[in-house]
Amino acid sequence: MPSFMLLLHRPLERGPMADPEAVARVTRDYMDWADRTRAAGRLKAGSKLTDDAGRILRNAGGRVATTDGPFVESKEIVGGYFLISAGDYAEACRIAAECPHLKYGSYIEVRQVEEL
Amino acid sequence: MTEAAPALEDLFRHEAGKICAWLVRLLGPGRLELIEDAVQDAFSAALAQWRFEGTPQRPAAWLAIAARNKALDRLRREMRLESLDPSDEAAAWRLGFSNPEDTGKPDDTLALMFVACHPALGDEEQTMLTLQTVCGFNARQIARAFLSTPEAVTQRLVRAKRRLRDLKLTVEIPEGAELAGRLPGLLNAIYQLFTGGYTAAEGDQLMTEQRCAEALRLVRLLCEHPHASTGETHALAALICFHHARAAARTGATGDVVLLAEQDRARWDAGLLARGFGHLRRAMAAPELTALHLEAGIAAVHASAPSFAQTDWPALVHYYEALIELKPTPVVKLNAAIAQGYADGPAAGLAQLDELAGSTQLSRYAHYHAARGDLLLKLGRRAEAGAALRQALECPLNGAERDYLLRKLRACSTPARQAHS
Repeated sequence: MPSFMLLLHRPLERGPMADPEAVARVTRDYMDWADRTRAAGRLKAGSKLTDDAGRILRNAGGRVATTDGPFVESKEIVGGYFLISAGDYAEACRIAAECPHLKYGSYIEVRQVEEL
Repeated sequence: MTEAAPALEDLFRHEAGKICAWLVRLLGPGRLELIEDAVQDAFSAALAQWRFEGTPQRPAAWLAIAARNKALDRLRREMRLESLDPSDEAAAWRLGFSNPEDTGKPDDTLALMFVACHPALGDEEQTMLTLQTVCGFNARQIARAFLSTPEAVTQRLVRAKRRLRDLKLTVEIPEGAELAGRLPGLLNAIYQLFTGGYTAAEGDQLMTEQRCAEALRLVRLLCEHPHASTGETHALAALICFHHARAAARTGATGDVVLLAEQDRARWDAGLLARGFGHLRRAMAAPELTALHLEAGIAAVHASAPSFAQTDWPALVHYYEALIELKPTPVVKLNAAIAQGYADGPAAGLAQLDELAGSTQLSRYAHYHAARGDLLLKLGRRAEAGAALRQALECPLNGAERDYLLRKLRACSTPARQAHS
């Protein structure tokens, strides 16, 4: 079955953690989704990425140029990812649409992993 | 993996106290603030990371390691900012080589309780600090229990921790005469934890149960310690067991108060009652007789009565008379009067209550007016009963108690036959 990468985008600036109990509820929502997806045999992996914008490497006239962040003007970064298996994009999107990230984060980018 | 997910907050709360006790042993009570912050950092990290990676195989160990690393980060940051203190270096080394499997040792929890219940702090601060450090409640939850705001609670806790830091305490369970001197303070904090939990002024069922459960856990820790398990400790354990055993029967299906008289005694926790009697036997075997002994004895009379009607009221009057000698508070006298009302009739109880009318504490205490209303109603003096109940309704109450009093007030205006039902 094909694999799909769910890239979870979120705003770069995050306010201070307001209410720990509310944060715990949000986390539980994510974990419930992950548990359901795992139980259905569809969740293969997931990781949180660090809270910075990362680095971008470019070939600038034969030299490697390193800059901060994906794009200087971007206000969003990938906060984490999930790797799922699904029959096709339609099914992958159905699974991703259930993810609470759409409620709490920003958007989810769904990409199919190329397989030989 | 999945079973931990719904209980995330419970897991955090249970682990917070253990991790805090472990880190206080490694770093000393002077660093309570740093430790609390590190534990919070660890929990925030867990919340952010477990979203993607799920609950780890051993969440408790994960949290302990994370908290230790966060504490080390904070310690190193402080060391760079402030002058080099060799004790900081030693603490950092101890942390670095510590074993996160060491969390959850009863002695660490007891030692932390002695820190939190230090006599340099006021009674309320001791209870608040115990709730925070030993029991893992956050400022918001503690504020609910003390009818305060999270900001005010945080302020008091910060001040309490600074005071402890200035005392340069060591973390250990005191011994001999010092233990004997400090034990009543600990028992008082547990008693406050439990009585505050037993009748939470603000209706908050969950917090109430959790506080009672924590009080029970802590008093049992003391009971298992060879030198802290005095007769008084066992008396407190018995008292908490007896009251906690009735927890399920105290609340009706809709959260309303079910009075002792109307409780389904089959719903009392028989195992907990049996444990209560076990503690009571140990308490009575000790030579001293304390107020806690008598309070446990009173609870035991209720616990052993097959029905409300068969309650041994004369025994209760006897216990209350002895308790008034040791603890002559208006609330004790109020309860003595209520017991007398059952033993010798409503008129005798009412006479006792009216003697207490001058007490300023009782004038704002709903139970006083409610008890008068009850006895007046039994005597058929319904107009006066209604007035007393209306006075009770003007006092601070939780929602369930208010509902009960309103039901009772309606009985004052219905025919007498139904008023007794």
